[in-house]
Amino acid sequence: MTHSLEFKGIGKLYPGVKALDDINFRAEGGKVLALMGENGAGKSTLLKILAGDIRPTEGTYYLDEKERVFDNPHDAILAGVSVIYQERQMMPALSVAENIYAGFLPKTKAGLIDRKTLYANAQKIIDKFGLPIKPRTPVARLSVAYQQMVEIMKAYSRNPTVIAFDEPTASLSDAEIAALFRIIAELKAEGKIILYVSHRMAEIFQLADDIVVFKDGKFVTQMKAAEADENKLVRAMVGREIGDTYANLKRNDTYGDVLLEVKNLNNKRIHDVSFTLRKGEVLGLAGLVGAGRTELVRAIFGADKVESGEIIFDGQPGCFKSPYDAIKAGIALCPEDRKEQGLVLFRSIRENTTIPVLGSMKKGLFLNKKLEKEITQEAIEKYSIRTDTMEKLATQLSGGNQQKVILGRWTNRLMETKLLILDEPTKGIDVGTKAEIYQMVCDIAKQGIGVIFISSETPEVIGVADNILVMHNGKITGKLKREEANEENILALAMD
Amino acid sequence: MKLVKKITQSKLGVICLVTILVVLFFGVTTTGFLSGNNLNSIMISMCLPGTIAIGMSMLLISGEIDLSAGYEACMGGLVCAMLIGAGLPWPVALLLTLVAGCIMGGILAFLVNKVGLFGFISSMAMISVYNGFSMIITKAQTITISTDNAAFFKIGAGSIWFFPIPFIIMVALMVVYGVILYKTEFGRTIYMTGGNRAAARLCGVNRKKITTILYINNGALAAFAGAVVAARMHNASPSACTTGATDAITAAVLGGVAFRGGDGNMVGCFIGLALVTFFNSGLTASGLQAYWQIVIQGLLLFAALCIDFFNARARQKALEG
Repeated sequence: MTHSLEFKGIGKLYPGVKALDDINFRAEGGKVLALMGENGAGKSTLLKILAGDIRPTEGTYYLDEKERVFDNPHDAILAGVSVIYQERQMMPALSVAENIYAGFLPKTKAGLIDRKTLYANAQKIIDKFGLPIKPRTPVARLSVAYQQMVEIMKAYSRNPTVIAFDEPTASLSDAEIAALFRIIAELKAEGKIILYVSHRMAEIFQLADDIVVFKDGKFVTQMKAAEADENKLVRAMVGREIGDTYANLKRNDTYGDVLLEVKNLNNKRIHDVSFTLRKGEVLGLAGLVGAGRTELVRAIFGADKVESGEIIFDGQPGCFKSPYDAIKAGIALCPEDRKEQGLVLFRSIRENTTIPVLGSMKKGLFLNKKLEKEITQEAIEKYSIRTDTMEKLATQLSGGNQQKVILGRWTNRLMETKLLILDEPTKGIDVGTKAEIYQMVCDIAKQGIGVIFISSETPEVIGVADNILVMHNGKITGKLKREEANEENILALAMD
Repeated sequence: MKLVKKITQSKLGVICLVTILVVLFFGVTTTGFLSGNNLNSIMISMCLPGTIAIGMSMLLISGEIDLSAGYEACMGGLVCAMLIGAGLPWPVALLLTLVAGCIMGGILAFLVNKVGLFGFISSMAMISVYNGFSMIITKAQTITISTDNAAFFKIGAGSIWFFPIPFIIMVALMVVYGVILYKTEFGRTIYMTGGNRAAARLCGVNRKKITTILYINNGALAAFAGAVVAARMHNASPSACTTGATDAITAAVLGGVAFRGGDGNMVGCFIGLALVTFFNSGLTASGLQAYWQIVIQGLLLFAALCIDFFNARARQKALEG
């Protein structure tokens, strides 16, 4: 009997966002099915549902015709589902063998760990993969690539029926990729169901039998790999045309002098980055997750170290040593992760709005609370933040309103912001509020403020930015004007 | 009815209510609990944990902690007594005691902000260091302060009208620090860095500067509290004040200071302190053995941490929606 895996009507709702919407497709044993789509298309969410890590809001899936939705990863593993996530989930101090068999360690009759069997079994798997590592080595001492291989061996050791890979080759070298592909071919020959997520076109065509494309949480199409080509795939992934939202934006069309000049900037995560930004210009930073965009802006902002290179901001040369220095010079950063890095969640809108301007809001020794309330009220009105009181805690606001509080923080009248950096400002925000935020960005640019706009949603970058930089692996791989940019050429620059 | 609802819905309201119930309970069930004498001794026994709790609350709000504060107080008492014994006038001795407190706080600030250790661990290690030192410098003996320092003793045991002077000092300090927390830029940044370290940093808040000041401040307050105890006892002992940190943390956390930072205020801290002290005194008045009181003190801290933990978990749940 061939194994089969069928998704029926899977949907996943997060507050304000539909991560997955009515997903239906079927995968068969002895075949590799590639899952493709842009960032945020819902591939990883589907894998998490498959692994029992999160529960779908609706729908279910069938493994070998049996209905299966798991409450926890352990049950899923026992039922023969192994998912290898992009982020490694290792216990760094434990050995290779212990990591491979984590949760399923062989035991002696007395209930202790049977180390002899453990190491022997681990060695067998390592030999099968043909890797030069030892079962007793702590994984912390392995390279990132080998850690990734340990993760794959862990999945393999559980003898799964379904094995899913989420971008497994992102940190592997060519030799290791070859070893991985050999293993995948073997798994295929054993009749297992293989799901494979990757952005690398070449890999897809080398490995996959079937391809399923997702877009914005929805199933777009399923095709045979033999019938697909790169153009066809990219078109399916990119999907719809850029909507009217962008056409209706009232943009800034007059730029001032050069505001920011970055020359050959380097640190651990970014390599040789150079670009310039003028006053009133919106510069888009496109690329895939992990391309180094966040790291680049953090380096400019003084939040991460710069190893070499030069920054000239508003005529003043020199890199910033801390966010404090950058803010004093007139740079503001709205970070990618609003909850972790943007807001003090359990304090009020008022307190969150005024953090960077406390110093210029004094009346003698004390804070001028009247002025503070005025500033907050102005921000609430300017950005139409929906709340009944400014004393509401930041955590009680929706994602869109949270983002507006952060915008209000950096653009109030006590700030002298010259450069505003927005890192994924519309992440997890509903469509209506997104459009509001796009217009706010354009309005901010009209005041002569330079804007760096990072987004993984390519249409958004093309729609909002005047000029676009595309990044990949910490390098800038392309500079495009809005007129010449389209999703195809940006995606091509963002991938290998 | 509206008032009742308002009280039961705010954390401070509940703690206030509990404190009042405790006072009523012991007032009715024991004799002499509400007598002037007992109230006076309650106020006096609030002083050591209370003064330490001021600095500790600020540290906790900023997301830091100093478990060695009681031993810093002990060292403060010893330093003060020895300097007076060496013939220095008491105001100078007290000033130098504050300097010693600053140094002790500074050591922790160094360990946390320069070496990069956790305050919890570093201060735990410092407990042992101070404990050993105090034994060495005193040869494990109590140091008596000669009786011609009457003015100094007043700081520890004098009273103005009904209120003991050390209690008045403590309340005054709480007011001053409460105003700093509530009304100044510095106070606000303490909440911000304790509430979300990463976000505060990206807003230009200098956490290291803030927590360095708070550690030094905490050391100074602890040393001062120890000196006040020495002034009351007319001596300093290497085993005095050592439960100061635990008592202060119990009071602060009971009063709504968040163990993980970002929330709390001096009013709450005072109410938490009152609750703990009334409770202890009530147990004494009802004739409970002193050792049992220590057990109950531990259970109180446990209760405070549970409340704090469940609060934090409820918040987390709310966050995940």
